[in-house]
Amino acid sequence: MILKNDDHSLKPCVRQRFAKQTKVFSLLLFLLGSISYAVEAADFEKMAVVETLQQTITGTITDTQGVPLPGANVVIKGTTTGAAADFDGNYSITANAGDVLVFTYTGYTSTERTVGADNVINVSLEEGLALDEVVVTGYTTETKRETTAAVSIVKAEELAAIPSGNVEQQLQGRVAGVTVLTNGQPGTTSQIRVRGFGAFGGNEPLYVVDGVPVGSTDFLNPDDIATTTVLKDAAAASIYGARAANGVVVYTTKQGARSKKTEVFVNVSSGLTDPNVAGSPEMLNPQDMAEYTHIAYRNNAAATGTTPQYTHPQYGDQPTPRLPDYLHANGANGVVGTVDLAAIQAAYEADPENVFLIRPNLEGTNWYKEITRPAPLTRVTLGIDGGTERGRFYFGFSAQDQDGIVLSQSFTRYAARFNSEWDIAPWLAVGENFQVTYRSVLGLFGGDGGLGVADDESEVLSAYRMPTIIPVFDEFGSYASTRAAGFNNPRNPVRRLVRNAGDDRSYNIGGNGNIYLLLKPIDGLTIRSSLGGAYGNSHFVNYNFRYLGDSEPEASNSFSEGSSYFLSWTFTNTVQYEKLFGKHKIKAFGGVEALNTGAGRFVNGNGINPFSTDLDFQNLNVVQSPNVNSGQFKGVNFYSLFGKVDYNWDEKYYLTGVIRRDGSSRFGGNNRFGTFPAVSGAWRVIAEPFMQNQDIISDLKIRGGWGEMGNSNNVDPNNQFSLFASNRGNTFYPIDGQNSGANEGFAQSRIGNPDAKWETSTTTNIGFDLGMFNDKLEIILDWWEKDTEDLLFQVPLAGVTGNFASAPAVNIASMRNAGVDFQIVNRGNITEDLSYTVTLNNSFLTNEITFLADGIEFFDGGSYRGIRPIRNAVGQSLSTFFGYKVAGYFNSQAEVDSSPAQDGAGIGRFRYEDVNGDGVITPDDRTFLGSAVPDYTGGATINLRYKNLEFETYWYASLGNEIWNQSKWFTDFFGTFEGSAKGVRAKQSWTPELGNNAAAPIWESASNLSTSGAENSWYVEDGSFLRLQRLAFIYSFDQDMIEKWGLTKFKLGVSANNIWTITDYSGLDPVVSGPDTNFGIDVGNFPVTPSYLISLEIGL
Amino acid sequence: MYNFFISLKQKLTMKTMSRVKKLTLCVMALLVVSISCSDEFLEIAPTGSLADAQVGTKDGIEGLLIGTYAALNGVFGNRFEGPNHWITGSILGGDANKGTDAGDYSSINPVQRFEHDATQGDLNNLWRGRFEGVSRANAVLAALANATDVTPADVARLAGEARMLRGHFYFDLKKHFNSIPVFDETIAPTDIVAIPNTPDVWPQIEADFQFAFDNLPAVNGAGRVNKWAAGAYLAKAYLYQGKFAQAKTMFDDVIANGVTSDGQAYALLDDYAQIYNAENDNHAESVMDVESANNTGSTQNANAFDDLNYPYNTGPDGPGNCCGFFQPSIELGNSFRTDASGLPLLDGSYNDPANAVANNFQHVVVDGNDEGTFVEDAGNLDPRIDHSMGRMGIPYLDWIEHPGSAWIRSFPYAGPYSPKKYIYYRSQENSFTDGSSWTRGYAIMNYTIIRFADVLLMAAEAEVEAGTLDQARTYVNMVRARAANSAHWVREYDDSGFAANYNISEYPPAQFADQASAREAVRFERKLELSGEGHRFFDLVRWGVASDVINSYLQFEGQFLVTKFGGASFTAGKNEFQPIPQPQIDIQGPDILTQNPGY
Repeated sequence: MILKNDDHSLKPCVRQRFAKQTKVFSLLLFLLGSISYAVEAADFEKMAVVETLQQTITGTITDTQGVPLPGANVVIKGTTTGAAADFDGNYSITANAGDVLVFTYTGYTSTERTVGADNVINVSLEEGLALDEVVVTGYTTETKRETTAAVSIVKAEELAAIPSGNVEQQLQGRVAGVTVLTNGQPGTTSQIRVRGFGAFGGNEPLYVVDGVPVGSTDFLNPDDIATTTVLKDAAAASIYGARAANGVVVYTTKQGARSKKTEVFVNVSSGLTDPNVAGSPEMLNPQDMAEYTHIAYRNNAAATGTTPQYTHPQYGDQPTPRLPDYLHANGANGVVGTVDLAAIQAAYEADPENVFLIRPNLEGTNWYKEITRPAPLTRVTLGIDGGTERGRFYFGFSAQDQDGIVLSQSFTRYAARFNSEWDIAPWLAVGENFQVTYRSVLGLFGGDGGLGVADDESEVLSAYRMPTIIPVFDEFGSYASTRAAGFNNPRNPVRRLVRNAGDDRSYNIGGNGNIYLLLKPIDGLTIRSSLGGAYGNSHFVNYNFRYLGDSEPEASNSFSEGSSYFLSWTFTNTVQYEKLFGKHKIKAFGGVEALNTGAGRFVNGNGINPFSTDLDFQNLNVVQSPNVNSGQFKGVNFYSLFGKVDYNWDEKYYLTGVIRRDGSSRFGGNNRFGTFPAVSGAWRVIAEPFMQNQDIISDLKIRGGWGEMGNSNNVDPNNQFSLFASNRGNTFYPIDGQNSGANEGFAQSRIGNPDAKWETSTTTNIGFDLGMFNDKLEIILDWWEKDTEDLLFQVPLAGVTGNFASAPAVNIASMRNAGVDFQIVNRGNITEDLSYTVTLNNSFLTNEITFLADGIEFFDGGSYRGIRPIRNAVGQSLSTFFGYKVAGYFNSQAEVDSSPAQDGAGIGRFRYEDVNGDGVITPDDRTFLGSAVPDYTGGATINLRYKNLEFETYWYASLGNEIWNQSKWFTDFFGTFEGSAKGVRAKQSWTPELGNNAAAPIWESASNLSTSGAENSWYVEDGSFLRLQRLAFIYSFDQDMIEKWGLTKFKLGVSANNIWTITDYSGLDPVVSGPDTNFGIDVGNFPVTPSYLISLEIGL
Repeated sequence: MYNFFISLKQKLTMKTMSRVKKLTLCVMALLVVSISCSDEFLEIAPTGSLADAQVGTKDGIEGLLIGTYAALNGVFGNRFEGPNHWITGSILGGDANKGTDAGDYSSINPVQRFEHDATQGDLNNLWRGRFEGVSRANAVLAALANATDVTPADVARLAGEARMLRGHFYFDLKKHFNSIPVFDETIAPTDIVAIPNTPDVWPQIEADFQFAFDNLPAVNGAGRVNKWAAGAYLAKAYLYQGKFAQAKTMFDDVIANGVTSDGQAYALLDDYAQIYNAENDNHAESVMDVESANNTGSTQNANAFDDLNYPYNTGPDGPGNCCGFFQPSIELGNSFRTDASGLPLLDGSYNDPANAVANNFQHVVVDGNDEGTFVEDAGNLDPRIDHSMGRMGIPYLDWIEHPGSAWIRSFPYAGPYSPKKYIYYRSQENSFTDGSSWTRGYAIMNYTIIRFADVLLMAAEAEVEAGTLDQARTYVNMVRARAANSAHWVREYDDSGFAANYNISEYPPAQFADQASAREAVRFERKLELSGEGHRFFDLVRWGVASDVINSYLQFEGQFLVTKFGGASFTAGKNEFQPIPQPQIDIQGPDILTQNPGY
């Protein structure tokens, strides 16, 4: 629907805003103009000075063993003037006497030398001391030594060989305090949570790429990334104020370096993902299925005191079932003996869509095997970087092509990135980061970009609903399915994947990045102005084809097509001043930022039964009942001011204060602005005199911080307005009595809350960084607590007030998260040639809803075939399972009679616990049954290096989380879609002999509270697991050998991923994601399965 | 030389300073401008929606009224919200059972067995859907109160329609939940939640219908409610309360003077089957309809609430795709048995084995799949049976002869019959259905909330209670006479004759000689004439016979459909009404919403 009324009260504002945006851009131009004027003058003056004062310094940068460090940096302290070492570690830089040169190399301790009389300065850098590692916080950088906050850095090389489509998946287990739930679909989004769950939704962290906040990082090529920094507590993140409550993940992409020879690298990873057919749940074979169908008939009869009736259309009417010769022969079902093949052939030729001849597959079709395949994956990245004295650049081109293990799933991404920075004058640089990306994800299951696959009835579930006796194809080569009677309503998943999904197309293409100016007008002062943005365009085409062979056939050919675009922008201006007064060092930083999260439009349409199903023919003009939708979105505007002051005395005592004030168009005028302060401090104990005469502790810093951060992700921008809208399904009505088409009507669509404001998280963090035995052992420990107040919660409105309008989100609820993150690194040499590094990342988390609203103690999650597994309740964590507690089975009629009254009670059915002890089983006896939130997640990396050979294993563990195995509803009860495929647990279904040891209730048709009709603890399984995620060998060829080949680097790696999982969970995969208030439910989860990769890193 | 350097340095410093100043000024200016703009910058108008002022105009109010009509067939997409109450009216009344198999839509299982509790989620959606209707009607009325550009005539019409619809929504809530909160458009939402539920809501309902009757025109456009629909509904409200005299007066007026909203005098159609044909929508028998249409961009404007209610696994030989729900009961089939003189077996002996209608259940379930030996029933039958239920061997509209178990999803669970009313014809595929979704089963015939035969039979009840038994007989016989028109009986496809041995006649005066037997005949006629149309359960409850009738039904049907009904029973004093949904009690508090007895 479009705005119909020109005198809309808010319209004039739109024009003004446009005018104002123009104003902002003209100002930017003015700024540029004035700078370029200043440049000319400055260049001239500077040259005059330079002639007499500067000298050229050369030297070699090596490690402590004398091995050159190509690409190591040397910078004149307090300036941007710098150079990089060449392949032999040689550098050359012009500097003034008295200048301090700072030598740095990633992963090595930096060192400083003052320029004196000597023109040659050779340095050797020590490995491993992380203190001088640069922490990129998005707006600024600081060293690890300086930081007072909880920050984790992941180096590019740690992530290089993990075969993921999206970079955020690589964080799993690598960062203490970050949990990642993902699935095996290429191109899927994942649930990334930094330190728990702050709100009832919108808990994804803020992603910042090269200083520009982005909505998603799915465009990023892992090989382009230089560093990943996770800002966890308020001290680190609150500079992002209102968007920081869920943590901030800051990516920087590769940049090249000044005065560096141009280098070319090529990374190739190629391999295969295995669908792990052997690990798929086992289904009853055709004989067993027939047998258990008749067992169910006998159990039905016993339960009702009648004689067993064998009524299945395929298995015969005798107590011993038989398998037919034809499941279906042109209308006849369960045919034993011969059929008139000629007549059926003729019928088929006359009406090929509607005539089927299906023979049983007596060996049994493994439908999981049929819908999956070994899926190849290849990623190639070409990178070129380098620089001159006055600039640096990086160019990266990458292509990733990855198939999903499920037929017709694929992921393709082509990306080209160009980053550069050039000095216009010694005090002025301009730079840009720009990427253009083509991305196509096909056949993804589940909402939220694949995140919702776990609780989706996807084709993975179809594979467990389709009886094994049905073959993939019938005798005519048509897809076989449930036109054969007696198998209920599953649909042939191979057909759906190949025929319906195989021709679909979907992609998006877009660019994003920023341009910036960097000014250093006087010593210590840096001004940065950045204009960033993203533009994207997407298109999709879906074809579905009529198929009449299912019991519930798809009767129409259908076609849909659509497009959309968006544009977002961010304009950031910051000023930083740094000065040392004796032992007092002060760094002041301030900025202003305006942004729009993305505005655009979409249009799509669909229709049925085009004249021809030829792919080249179909479009929206040739379909019947075309139906067109379109809409627009304007994004959210933010306007922010922020500042930060860092002070330290003698690099011993550190104090940092941060404040940010944000305004957002998500909120009404009453509460639009929020202010978010944070303070933190650190004491570098190691710098104290009393620490100097010992050699056990090599580093010790104690940190503490407190601060507030905001969140507004979980509220609709229209929350502030009371609105009316039309909706084709719910407010349209054929008021003239017509049979075709309906008239537009309206209804209240939203009840506004103009007073809504930011959710505020208050974080306290206390931690220490400890290095021992010359940093052979490092421990970083943080204890944290995050209390979120004013949580936006849509308090459920009483039905009597009308429930079509969205209830307003009001700031009422609260939640508490607390935990401990710690990282332990142990490194050393076993022999001279054999070194090792062991890294453990550990996160402990507790999450609790502390308040919802007056009189509201809970809200429930979604419903799955009448089962409602989740209750989010005060005093519990998010996504806590709720239902009846199974005490056992009714093992005898006496037990039925003597137990508390329970609807549907019967022998072999679930016997529930009378939790409230009132002698009758009612909904009040439902109780909490465990939570999807793990108590502990962690990762362990063990790295061994022997000469040129590196061995790495990486383990990931999740403990203390439960999974609701809803797929058992389909496979473990006979009566749920009776006739469809069932699992082998049928064989351990209740019998008097098995009693309470049975794995499922008695095999029967009934469906009620005591069988498949209620949520209960039988579905809840321990979801803890330990997984070997990576086992890799990497061989680096000898330097002198590859030089002969004209290369600078040549590494060959092989890895096996996800090859071993230890878990008690009976489903396909224990990693079960979903939306925060409704996750951990496995209906047909998409598994993470083993993959095997070969990777090459070649440097030219 | 030195001086030169000094002066250069000074110059440089000055230049630097001026440059810095300039830059600082720029940055400052940028900050200041940005700040002054920020309030406007942070206001973004919503897209694709309207504000109060826009819907407050006459056109806007017309739109709100259309939105209110749109709530007639539900708002939340739940099938319990369907206006035909196929579950809470027909299944609970014994016209049909859930059909399909045990596991499919299993939340209906405890409902049809009268074992459900207040947490049953579908009933919560029914509650919410109907109160949303009330809320939309109130929005129309509230907007009218403030409108300045609406003529008094339009105010009367718009308010009349809104109040008629509100009365309907309240009536639906009343008959399901008995005790409900009632309020009009003058009550603010904050006060609405404090209104307790009470059974004493008839005055509000009567007032709404009375207002609509007084203010609506007789001819108001085919898709809208009119004066006479309001009159009929008002009379129905009287009847539900036992105000027979008032009901009779009103029914007399409606029967004598009533016209459909497009001006046709109320009349019975010649052909019973044509009541349910989309090509015949808004016919002379439609007193109050829910309009249904295709090509609207949403199947919710077609009969989405009935999308499951088709035979199963028919392929292209039958309608719909899915899902084998709403299977007529064996008991209902037997009820169509007539005696040699063409009258129903009012003594209940139709269920006796000697009288029961032959069906293929025995052949499939008991005798081991020997469906081939099934012989069609040869006894006397009311011809409406084959307009009302799909039976093996009988032409299924213009599709094929019902093939028996091949079209039934789970024979032992749900019995031998398929639904047949409100089913579209083969010739209507994609022209009188909406084919744009996963199933073909989005038919577009209007569901008739009140049809003229219903009015006649309700009027007959009022006449019986008033003692004017002959008039009651006249009404009942009007209905039977139409059914007796052999021109419209179901015939074999080869035109070899009628599909079964139909025998129906009008009641002789003897049946209406005393009030009790007249009452018996009138009530049974409602069962036959209106089967599967959502009335039965509510009729049984208001007649005070629900417990007896339903328990004997459950016992009878449970002999066959053992898994479905074995051990089920109706609890008198409890199951007459649905529980107040627990989520609503949780939200409003047990001090505001009192749970119904027994739950």
